[in-house]
Amino acid sequence: MYFRITLLRSSIGLPLKTSQTLSALGLKKRMATVYHPVTPDVAGQIMRVKELVDVSEVAAPKTKAQMKAARRPDPGYYVEKKEYVAKRGDGEWRKLYEVGAVMGETVGRDDA
Amino acid sequence: MFGPFRLTNPLSGGLLWKIPFRLSRHQKSRQRLRLRHVDHVISTLSSALAKQAKSIRKIERWKEVMPIEQEMLAKDKYSVFDRKVKRYRKGMHKVPKWTRVSQRLNPPGF
Repeated sequence: MYFRITLLRSSIGLPLKTSQTLSALGLKKRMATVYHPVTPDVAGQIMRVKELVDVSEVAAPKTKAQMKAARRPDPGYYVEKKEYVAKRGDGEWRKLYEVGAVMGETVGRDDA
Repeated sequence: MFGPFRLTNPLSGGLLWKIPFRLSRHQKSRQRLRLRHVDHVISTLSSALAKQAKSIRKIERWKEVMPIEQEMLAKDKYSVFDRKVKRYRKGMHKVPKWTRVSQRLNPPGF
């Protein structure tokens, strides 16, 4: 289990120990989120900055890319089919409409 | 008399900040939210550690000593003991960094 810790309030003007605890936790800016395993050490660190952070317990940590993907809004469309590519006789890759094939068929595709 | 350069206390006398004597009801409501937020953080920490059959003294001590928001008296939520003030109480908003400190306990009888 992991703690998901989000910095909500800045430590500007607070005792040095508070800012140092935040940087030890890896929180550099407001609204930054970090994941740390549930241990007494981490709980003690959170205890020191309890007024500044939001904490929840989660099963698995998220990577930076996953957190960014979760923030991304719905694009409003989805791709039904990918454009097929076919290999010509001379070994060069061409789009299907160029070789005149019908959609849905894989023509001359080696790794398909 | 009117307009941007009228004679007012801050303009004529230099630095003059006026902090209201009481908290507004919106400040009080945000204060309650902050208190509840800290309570929530403490309960998350202690329940997460309890699942691993662990605990730390800091949290145990907090739970033993500190009242939760619902248990606190209005007096303790919005004001704080001060020996220099008449009747020994001043508004919570006069405490430096009051939105980011946990100040819940006051001397008994005051």
